[in-house]
Amino acid sequence: MDLFLQQLSNGLVIGSTYAVVAVGFALAFTVLRVIQFAHPDVFMIGMFTGMVAAGFVPGGGLAVALLGGAVGSTAIGAIIERTVVAPLRGRDVLTTLIATLGVSVILQNGMAVIVGPDPIPYPRLLPARFYEIGPVLLTLRQMFCLGLCALLLVLASLYVRRTHIGRATRAIAERPDVAAAFGVDVRRVCQITFWLASTMAGLAAVAVGSLYGSASAFVGLLYGLKAFICMLVAGNRYFEAVIAVGLALGVLEALVTGYVSSSLRDAVAFFVLIGVLYLRPNGLFGSYAT
Amino acid sequence: MPNLAFFEPILIFTLLNVAMTIGLYVTALSGQLSMATAAIAGVGGYASGILTVKFGVPFLPAVAAGAFMGGALGCILALLTLKMRDFILKLTTLAAGEALSVLAFNWDYIGGANSFTGLEPHTGVFTCLVVALLAFYVAWRFDGSRLGYAARAVRDDPLAAASMGVSVAQVRIITFTLGSALIGMAGAVQAHYLLVITPSQLGFFVSLNYVIFLLFGGLQTLAGPILGAVVLTALPEALRFANEYRLIVYGLIIVGVMLWRPDGLLTRTPLGVARRILGFTLRPARLPKGALRAEDVLSPILPGDGVAMTKRN
Amino acid sequence: MSALLKIEGLAVSYGSVPAVDGVSLEIEPGELRVILGANGAGKTTIIKTIMGLLKPRSGTIRFDGESDLLRLRPHQIHQLGIAWVPEARQLWNTMTVLDNLRMGAFEVRDKAMVERRIGEMFERFPRLAERRHQLAGSLSGGEQQMVAIARALVSNPRLLLMDEPSLGLAPIVVRDVFALAQEINTMGIAVLMVEQNARQSLKVAHFAYLLELGRVVEAGPAAEIAGKKSVQDVFLGGSA
Repeated sequence: MDLFLQQLSNGLVIGSTYAVVAVGFALAFTVLRVIQFAHPDVFMIGMFTGMVAAGFVPGGGLAVALLGGAVGSTAIGAIIERTVVAPLRGRDVLTTLIATLGVSVILQNGMAVIVGPDPIPYPRLLPARFYEIGPVLLTLRQMFCLGLCALLLVLASLYVRRTHIGRATRAIAERPDVAAAFGVDVRRVCQITFWLASTMAGLAAVAVGSLYGSASAFVGLLYGLKAFICMLVAGNRYFEAVIAVGLALGVLEALVTGYVSSSLRDAVAFFVLIGVLYLRPNGLFGSYAT
Repeated sequence: MPNLAFFEPILIFTLLNVAMTIGLYVTALSGQLSMATAAIAGVGGYASGILTVKFGVPFLPAVAAGAFMGGALGCILALLTLKMRDFILKLTTLAAGEALSVLAFNWDYIGGANSFTGLEPHTGVFTCLVVALLAFYVAWRFDGSRLGYAARAVRDDPLAAASMGVSVAQVRIITFTLGSALIGMAGAVQAHYLLVITPSQLGFFVSLNYVIFLLFGGLQTLAGPILGAVVLTALPEALRFANEYRLIVYGLIIVGVMLWRPDGLLTRTPLGVARRILGFTLRPARLPKGALRAEDVLSPILPGDGVAMTKRN
Repeated sequence: MSALLKIEGLAVSYGSVPAVDGVSLEIEPGELRVILGANGAGKTTIIKTIMGLLKPRSGTIRFDGESDLLRLRPHQIHQLGIAWVPEARQLWNTMTVLDNLRMGAFEVRDKAMVERRIGEMFERFPRLAERRHQLAGSLSGGEQQMVAIARALVSNPRLLLMDEPSLGLAPIVVRDVFALAQEINTMGIAVLMVEQNARQSLKVAHFAYLLELGRVVEAGPAAEIAGKKSVQDVFLGGSA
């Protein structure tokens, strides 16, 4: 039972980071009809700019790193939106997928040229402290990561549900033409959405870097794929569903690691995906028509 | 003579990639863009590897078995995704490929994480040339056949095709199986060149290369996949002098082409780059003479009610 | 009086297939005009082109004498005072009725004004007021049409484009919809309607165009058009 609760908590921490990246995917995909395959690399860029920022300001620590991560990822997201995504809006999903994949190749290998292809140590930013909550042992870094991601997810959900522009986001997702004809500047809303998704990824990236104590130019590969799968399994109609599936996947992986084998961990997502798509091609909770 | 040994691997990989991309083209002809090419090739490779190493089967029958296993996997994938919408289908094939990769990773009989080794070298430039030409010939004939037309009809509008009497399911299964058999064959031949099969070779990121080749070249004509595979296989080699920057340049070129020609380099339009670069576009082998009536093309495939209905009208 | 909307030589194609081929038409302030045509005649194409959702091959569209609509993007066209009741309603089904109406005046900064206009709509359509927190997709066809019309009116437009408002509605509701179009028109809003239901729409319209295969083949006052034999054969006769 204790192992179960421990793995459940560990899974929630990882799952919350999957959820943040997955929600970014979902925002970009529902609004722009673009699979932003470079989104995990935006995450990666945020991780490194956060590290650089923390290094520049002695004693700045966590706050500076978060700021640096947010600024770096938002900037790179804005550049991608401007140069690749916006010109291809309305094109076949596949064309944009290949184009953003090209961006992903550029970002990964570009970063590998700078920092080298192997993982490098990441500043821990927070002291190595443990907390016992009942039978569960959590580190301060884990708790910070979970807390930050939870905050980001709540804010994202409030943005989509409660704000004026968030309502436009949903309107575009369901009927882009009608939204445009009722006064929504679709291009602008898409842009803002894209920026926000990038900012979220950058913030989460700093927490993840601090959690693992290492960063790599290729962190986006498997990470992104799993987040992407979360979006597909959930369907993109409800952002809350994407969040729930992200958390669930993290927990499932942690349980498989704890009870079965860690080598099977990375396969879990794919088996879940095949099963869900076979039974419910639009995801568990439905998708907007594409 | 410049160092031939330097060019041989490039030539071999180019030819094999051409064959596999052609296989993907055939699969995609009916609108199913598979994201599991590497997994299919890998299954072909494992099949021929197991047969030659563990059972002493000669090279050629083993390659045939590889093609068969690839085709069988394609058939299964087609059945699995038959009812799915286009986009979901791509993702399901993606996930299936990844799942197979993990399976291979955990299956000790075929080496598991330690990879499958012990294959004998059988593959040279000549073998690969034969494979590429064979794939080309099959695809070319298929392109111009009644089935080829039916496949395109299914791709453009499954509902309309079905109402003309085409069995959408049948066409999809046939194209997926045939294309995958070509890929399986190339995969088997490749295994006897690399002499080792690693589970990660089956993964999504390898499969994606072939999708990039196809879309880069353009999937409207058979020339597209050939051009895409040749250019994008040779390009990183040609960029070797740029060393660590070559993949960045590779990425830039892909992004550039997608922005500049979103439908790929070669398209059907007469003014397409195809004519400017090559002076020709490959057309299907046998264009039926005169106006093409739907019944002519489709009736042999399935003598269903659809055709009779058309004639009544 | 100068025309509120003036379309000249409009040609639109989908790929190489022409959908609208040299159409000229206009509407004056306060008028109700109808474009009649069968499926595929190009009616919806005209409406979508006015709204900026399709780019024409050639032609001009002027609104209010000077603004050239073809240079504008859809949301800017809406800001000029043109609102759209799309074919088959096209509500945001996953949003509530209230949110649908709020989206109808997305760019209006004055929140109080928007809420007041929505209040007026709920007064006019009490049924919608009852269902304001329901998802639009859960309403009946007639109610959905009311939402679509109310959504278009929230921004207080000068020109209302109605694309087949009678499509898929019960006959009794159809009569309501046409009466409503007339009522909107008497409030001073110009209405350009596209319809297949010639009998009903000619009763409320001032002026009518007959569209066939992307071309205007007849144009004249509604009463006159209703008397034309060709119109009677196609739209008012016993065929269907």
